[in-house]
Amino acid sequence: MGIISLEQTDGLYWLGRYSERVYTTIRLYSRSYDRMLDENAGGYEEFCRDLDIPNIYQSSEDFKTRYPFDKEDPNSIMSNLLRAYDNAIVLRETIGSETLSYIQLAIYEMNKAEKSQAPLIEMQKVMDNILAFWGIADDIMEDENSRNIIKVGKRVERIDLYGRLHQPRENLVREVSRLAGRIGRCNIHYNESVILNLLELVQAPELDYYSIVYEIERIL
Amino acid sequence: MYDLDLFEHTDTVNELLARYGVKFGVYKNNVFKEQLFPFDAIPRVIEKQEFDWLERGLKQRVVALNLFLKDIYGEKKIIRDKVVPEEFVYASSGYLAQCEGVRPVKDIYSHISGIDLVQGKNKEWYVLEDNLRVPSGASYPMIARELCRRSSPRTFQNYKLEDNRNYADLLRRTMDNVNVGGHTVILTPGRYNAAYFEHSYLAERTGVHLVNGRELTVEDDKLYFVDYSGKKERVGAVYRRISDEYLDPMNFNPESVIGIPHIYDIYRKGNVALLNAPGNGIADDKGIYYFVPKMVKYYLGEEPILQNAPTYLPFYEEDMRYVLEHFDSLVLKDVAEAGGYGVVFGSSMTAKQKEDFIALLKKEPRRFIAQEVIDFLDIDIMEKGEMVPRKADLRAFVLMADEPLVWKSGLTRFSRNPDSFIVNSSQGGGFKDTWVLSR
Repeated sequence: MGIISLEQTDGLYWLGRYSERVYTTIRLYSRSYDRMLDENAGGYEEFCRDLDIPNIYQSSEDFKTRYPFDKEDPNSIMSNLLRAYDNAIVLRETIGSETLSYIQLAIYEMNKAEKSQAPLIEMQKVMDNILAFWGIADDIMEDENSRNIIKVGKRVERIDLYGRLHQPRENLVREVSRLAGRIGRCNIHYNESVILNLLELVQAPELDYYSIVYEIERIL
Repeated sequence: MYDLDLFEHTDTVNELLARYGVKFGVYKNNVFKEQLFPFDAIPRVIEKQEFDWLERGLKQRVVALNLFLKDIYGEKKIIRDKVVPEEFVYASSGYLAQCEGVRPVKDIYSHISGIDLVQGKNKEWYVLEDNLRVPSGASYPMIARELCRRSSPRTFQNYKLEDNRNYADLLRRTMDNVNVGGHTVILTPGRYNAAYFEHSYLAERTGVHLVNGRELTVEDDKLYFVDYSGKKERVGAVYRRISDEYLDPMNFNPESVIGIPHIYDIYRKGNVALLNAPGNGIADDKGIYYFVPKMVKYYLGEEPILQNAPTYLPFYEEDMRYVLEHFDSLVLKDVAEAGGYGVVFGSSMTAKQKEDFIALLKKEPRRFIAQEVIDFLDIDIMEKGEMVPRKADLRAFVLMADEPLVWKSGLTRFSRNPDSFIVNSSQGGGFKDTWVLSR
């Protein structure tokens, strides 16, 4: 098909970002959930602080159910998954029904997790579907530009989250390097100085996480 | 005929349909909701010989309807010759004065026609209505067949069927036939349209762009697709899935924000093809439906192969008398409504409702048609593991490419309510695949 519109470009980019947000926040949530079982009942406060989301939760139990599943909470995992779906559903002809189906399956698994006594088991399937989504997008989407835009969205989101979560340097070096290699391969307008700044920031003797997050947020 | 192996997989097929987002949108209390379209694995089976006959009838009907549209927006011979009264043309909401004298590419008006049929218990087929604007539904049996073949391969080894997955090829051929140069696109009002799944699935399967009005622009009398960088590429054919009134705010409804300003102007000049042509609503008006068999005779000099359900126009005094005398045995339809709405059965009205309705009928006789209630041939569906009979119709698709093409399948819709004749998805109906035997 060759050409894509501004709206499609935007949809692909945010599909990449939201799918990554779902994937990474489930991983983080799983770790916090485990800790809150018997170690640190107030761990959710730290979780909210790290992710820079409002702590609207009354207790660890409240957090355990609302953070993943509350559709009314714009920061919940489910809300982010639905935003991924909103972008995917309008891109069927670009990403293909097969690719789209994994986002739909992730929603079904998330709904099952909400009703489960052991939600992490079902949420593992959500992550499996997100991984399958990325894999099949890479495998069957013919248009390289469209594939690259999804990947750029994914990398941008990952750097953003890793910066907020003060992840180890090697993780940030790897992700910034991947983004730098990818972003020039898709035809989107971006702020080239951000890439240069990020490459410098992740090599600095002292990691300035605040600046990393600030820079990545102004890449487009 | 029935093959239990396939039926055992009904749930699997429905799960797969859910997985692929085979949904339709409905608005209830102003809230948009996506719903799954329930699928029943027992197919409607049409034998080859019977479908060959239907195919001839469908082609004949759609060719006549195309000639009618050309005539109505051109010479109007059928009015002058008093075959169709002018009141039925100019009073119809489907008639668009803006289309007067406009000739679409290759004189094709209804590129994609959905003809709704029912089969009576006497095995006779009757046309219930013609849909010549933006008929939807082909995508559902198309994807269902794909998933049924996956779920129950043995069934498809045992039966020799026409492969209905070629609909995308037929559609592409139809679009390419009228493309005046450049890309072909499918124009959607957006994801909150009831048929959005179909728009996106057909775009995927035909390999064309799915676009909304914001992505197209008219410049220098040509239509362009605007890419992310502002670069423009010409568009030569638009399979538009938005209704006439919203297509172009400069020529139709000025409040439309989903249309493309001036697209109709360049269409008029032959610089882009629109599928289906604007103004087709006049030919699928429920009042005009009465005259379609007459059109076949008038334009083609042939006896109509397909018959209408026996229909009366209260507009004519004689028919009004009949309607009033047989009110309880008729179904009455408001010509302005669609989707199963505006349909009432005389037998189900209270005395007061009947009195009010008759008063309205006398006041606005042009607004209604009355039809004999066809004693539908029930077809079986599976419900809670048991086969139960339900009312069903068949939407057949006729595409006008370089020649008329009848898709060897169709959308069979059924009522899930045992007491209802209403099969529309928006009112809770389900669907089946339609098998046409290949020998």
